Amino acid sequence: MTVLSDIYYVCWREMKRFWQHKPRILVVVFQPLVWLVLMGNMMSGLTSNPFASRMLGVERYIDFMTPGVMIMTALFGGIFSGVSLLWDRRIGFLSKMLVAPVSRVAIPVGKMLATAMQGAIQVAVIALVALFLGVKFKTGLGGFLCLLFIAALFCFAMAGVSLSVAIWVKTIEGLHPILNFFTMPMVFSSNAIFPEAAMPSWLRVVSAWNPLSYAVTAMRALIVEGWAWGKILSGLMVTLLFAFAMVLVATCQFKRSLG
Amino acid sequence: MLFRSAAVSCGGEKVGAIIEVEGLTKVYARGIVAVKEVTFAVEEGEIFGFLGPNGAGKSTTIMMLTTLIKPTAGRAFVAGFDVVREPGRVRLCIGYVSQELAVDDNLSGRDNLFLQAGFYHLPRGEARARCDELLKMMGLYERADDLVETYSGGMRKRLDIACGLIHRPKVLFLDEPTVGLDTQTRHQIWGYIKALREKYGMTIFMTTHYMEEADALCDRIAIIDRGVIKAVGAPAALKDRLGGDVVTLRFKEAPAEKIREAVAALEGLAGVRGVKHQDGDCFIVARGGGELIPQIFQVLQPLGVGVERVTLKRPSLDDVYLYYTGRELRDETGSKEEAMRARMLMRRVRGA
Ligand SMILES: Nc1ncnc2c1ncn2[C@@H]1O[C@H](COP(=O)(O)OP(=O)(O)OP(=O)(O)O)[C@@H](O)[C@H]1O
Ligand SMILES: [Mg+2]
Repeated sequence: MTVLSDIYYVCWREMKRFWQHKPRILVVVFQPLVWLVLMGNMMSGLTSNPFASRMLGVERYIDFMTPGVMIMTALFGGIFSGVSLLWDRRIGFLSKMLVAPVSRVAIPVGKMLATAMQGAIQVAVIALVALFLGVKFKTGLGGFLCLLFIAALFCFAMAGVSLSVAIWVKTIEGLHPILNFFTMPMVFSSNAIFPEAAMPSWLRVVSAWNPLSYAVTAMRALIVEGWAWGKILSGLMVTLLFAFAMVLVATCQFKRSLG
Repeated sequence: MLFRSAAVSCGGEKVGAIIEVEGLTKVYARGIVAVKEVTFAVEEGEIFGFLGPNGAGKSTTIMMLTTLIKPTAGRAFVAGFDVVREPGRVRLCIGYVSQELAVDDNLSGRDNLFLQAGFYHLPRGEARARCDELLKMMGLYERADDLVETYSGGMRKRLDIACGLIHRPKVLFLDEPTVGLDTQTRHQIWGYIKALREKYGMTIFMTTHYMEEADALCDRIAIIDRGVIKAVGAPAALKDRLGGDVVTLRFKEAPAEKIREAVAALEGLAGVRGVKHQDGDCFIVARGGGELIPQIFQVLQPLGVGVERVTLKRPSLDDVYLYYTGRELRDETGSKEEAMRARMLMRRVRGA
């Protein structure tokens, strides 16, 4: 299967670039630290209010916040994947791959896979930081691996969204504002940082259509509730479906852009 | 022109011409005709050059031959395979070094090559051996494990060319291999290109807008302008078409009839095509002007006509080029993204 080999090499390149970039590694470690420490502390007063505590379903806000920070990291990690494709096109590297007998499917999929792996690394770092800050993982190592899988899968799907938009927009300058426009509503129309119970009813409807909500619900269940199979499975299924759809869209878009 | 059927041509063993192009046309969106019914053939082992100004359609032709874009009309065969119907087989036979410096700055030189080997599905051991070989050949071995970010423009170009060679292609396409490089680096790259043909018998199709480059490297060139081939031939033959060398003499003071005698005698020399005397200067158009000069003196001495000054001017490919493409600069149409790509290239060439 040369497709697998091609995916491997496309992915290998992205991962090499990832490790090569030292400042990025610092960001990977410090960003979640800052988010968790700042947000966790700032909002920690919330849970001393019994009403709010019940709404959040946790005793400490940081328990609620941890999966939220994880999913946002996966989201932001994935959403800029398209930039690398446009960059490759601008410097001529894309042509170089296309002249070689590289499978056309492997180029977007390899990039998505690399993005997902990078997302998983970042989420794992967050988990370590959270452990350090006293967050307890109810489901232990197995649950953590399951959570990591869901986050990576979500990151993979978001990379697909990003690539599809990038192919459509064609320039890096045009891509950035569109992606920024995407991400914030996606976070705020989900239960990543605010509980569903606190939402107005219309937002709850939007949230029910937002795949991010399902992923984060499952991840939150794994951390604070335990093996709540209903939430976990629906999160897994929705994210899988989302990822699968985005592979199709991104590869079709990419092939079509080649004419 | 004869087109072989796909069945016969297994990697081009029975090939006369390794690149055959007939009526190749590319019309971009908005009706821009970049290449218009271009027809030519390149023999195996030849260095063939496409010479033309900006926007002539050189890159567009290369991109059609390397399967990157589909022709609007016409046919092209590379190593015996149809570029539209069998792009996969064409890709295995060709190497392509684009006009852009398409190397990954965030990887080392060795990683760039290793990645390229992976794209061609070479086994790992073989890939590593070839990476070393190419790094040595291109003089990059000492810096192989440094990030390309730290390379100079010339080193990047050499690495880019090495990437195009990793799978030992039969045909190498070089799109403006020396654009933006200084004179020393340019000569170095020329050396590598010549060596490739000599060592591996590789066929090389290159584009350039430097006349001296085409002159120094190419066995044959095609002059292309506004998507149309204006002339094809060996550089010497193209120059010949413009007439020949021009020897200019300035006679010492002499009576008019002596000068007339001298001009008549010069017209009688072998290889001379025409002699014109004007304001004391005598212009002689001839083939092989260098060999003519001693003969000129032999003829003039018995006549007692002295010569103050001699100059010899060979027609340069410059003259040929300008003759076929005209002098004026071209306005270019192109998208914003293309402009960004061009800016990026200049930055990268300068090693910024
Ligand atoms: N993607 C495109 N869409 C529309 N027009 C294009 C596109 N690419 C090239 N062109 C146009 O086609 C013509 C030929 O371009 P091409 O790049 O082949 O020229 P070139 O000979 O390689 O020039 P240069 O020496 O500047 O590289 C130009 O007028 C150019 O603006
Ligand atoms: Mg060009």
